[in-house]
Amino acid sequence: MSNFQLTIAEDRLTLSLRGRLDAYSILAVWREASEVLAEIDSARVVIDGTQIDYCDTAGAAMLLDLAQIARATGAETEFVNLSEQVQQFLKLFDPTTLAAQNRQEDRSSWLERIGQWGSRVGNEFVTLISFVGEAASALVIALRHPACIRWGDAMRIAREAGVDALPIVSLISFLIGVILAFQAAAAMSRFGAEVFVADLVGLAVLRELGPLMTAILLAGRSGAAFAAELGTMKVNEEIDALSTLGFEPVRFLAVPRILATVAVIPVLTVYANLIGLIGGAIVMMGFGISLVSYYQELLGVLSLSDLLTGLGKALLFGVIVAGVGCLRGLQAGLGAAAVGRSATSAVVSAIVLIVAVDGLFTVIFYYAGI
Amino acid sequence: MSPIIRVNNLTAGFADRIVLRDISFDVQRGEVFVIVGGSGSGKSTLLKHMIGLYQPQCGTICIEGEDIVAAHGSERQSILRKIGVSFQTGALFGSMSILDNVCLPLEAYTDLPKQAIAMIARMKLQLVSLGDAANRMPAELSGGMRKRAAIARAMALDPLILFLDEPSAGLDPVLSAELDALLLNLSRVLHVTLVVVTHELNSIFTIADRILMLDGATQTIAADGPLLKLLAHANPQVRRFFAPNKEQM
Repeated sequence: MSNFQLTIAEDRLTLSLRGRLDAYSILAVWREASEVLAEIDSARVVIDGTQIDYCDTAGAAMLLDLAQIARATGAETEFVNLSEQVQQFLKLFDPTTLAAQNRQEDRSSWLERIGQWGSRVGNEFVTLISFVGEAASALVIALRHPACIRWGDAMRIAREAGVDALPIVSLISFLIGVILAFQAAAAMSRFGAEVFVADLVGLAVLRELGPLMTAILLAGRSGAAFAAELGTMKVNEEIDALSTLGFEPVRFLAVPRILATVAVIPVLTVYANLIGLIGGAIVMMGFGISLVSYYQELLGVLSLSDLLTGLGKALLFGVIVAGVGCLRGLQAGLGAAAVGRSATSAVVSAIVLIVAVDGLFTVIFYYAGI
Repeated sequence: MSPIIRVNNLTAGFADRIVLRDISFDVQRGEVFVIVGGSGSGKSTLLKHMIGLYQPQCGTICIEGEDIVAAHGSERQSILRKIGVSFQTGALFGSMSILDNVCLPLEAYTDLPKQAIAMIARMKLQLVSLGDAANRMPAELSGGMRKRAAIARAMALDPLILFLDEPSAGLDPVLSAELDALLLNLSRVLHVTLVVVTHELNSIFTIADRILMLDGATQTIAADGPLLKLLAHANPQVRRFFAPNKEQM
């Protein structure tokens, strides 16, 4: 049964509501009464509350909304026989503001939105430049005065970013070596050139995939951790506390992280290279190439410059991972969501930068004949 | 009339440490019930037991006659719908706007369409004078605004009982007085039963109908009654709590 009744007499429509008007029971009555009131042709609408037993905020919202709908048709609308409590309750709200707020939408134009986006990108760029400058100056000062570096923190970070990353680096590098060798061997076996797979695996792993995969793994593990840690410190006002104690947050927090990451990434890269080559060797043995032949082939094709170019890139990737992680952490807003966003942004930005820088180096090395 | 909350022989604690020992009391419908006590006396622990977050070692906590300690599943859900909780730090969801924070319980427990839910949520925000801040994120609000937004969220489903943990802690006297006025308004107009944990004397003097004072040393109730009764209590510790300067002289 409907919780309302309509009575039409002369130019007056009376809407009598009854029972409980709460959030759990008003859906049907709100919908039906709204439909009826939107189509009325009466000069006067009376909302009668004689039989209302209980009315909570949802009930009050419905009463105000129904009155608003009736008024929109041009009818003079009034409430009658509402209990003292309901009357008092309705007085707490401003129906005009509520209606205006409900209609409110994001009215900013596309030009405004482009402007806001441009301003955000500009601010980001300025922040990035100032962070790079601050971090570079802090690093120079720290290297000139090594006693100022928080070596305890740096060692802990190096252990977490380096030693703790060995299992995942082993797994991924091994699989990369295996996949690369398999894909190449499948194609080259048609020409009886399986032995040259070693050349491909060796060059690809040492010059590109070893440093690249290590850096991406480091970005996922340590870059995100740096951003989350520093972001949480920002939320807890620990960064503000550092500033008021006279410490520069970049020197205190970013320098040990950058140094630790730069120290461990070449070691991890050499390790990743070795495991990747072992992965390739195992596949080659499956194709009938002996370990000695594989080794001889690698020695013939690889030079020290291949290893050094990979390690040079790895060093730069290390700076990117740690720098971006710290920057995003220090930029974090307030609240748990902001920390999550800064960690995500640290990983995404670092990976994009790493791949872009890697591409740039590949082109430079090609034209430089390295 | 039967009490809206009945706590019976409640003993609670963590591991071997007892925090509340054999505590019993009632809260009447529509009452502003204030829980006070020194730091570490178990005020927040008692509140968290009353809202079903902690499991007591023994005893019962009945809300409208239903034991929240023994309730599970849908029975527990139906008890939880009768209560709203405002936590000490606000505990607003940082990834949502204030309006979305208030809409969340309405979306979860009612079938109302989005527009109706938004209207109800805006009314709640108007109640706590945050009508203009509906689209702001929690991180953009001051401490006082966050507390009021948390009250609006706690009130989303028009609960019978509103639990507030240190609502005026960290607020300046003006904001604290405004919050007290808001709580009194909620109690008088909406007839909500308020259970408030606080040690702000001004708030206690302004809003309390009845006070329960916990004694951290004995883990029991030191005093229970209206303010005037406690001001003249036989126990000097109780009198000193409410009139510290007077007792020192």
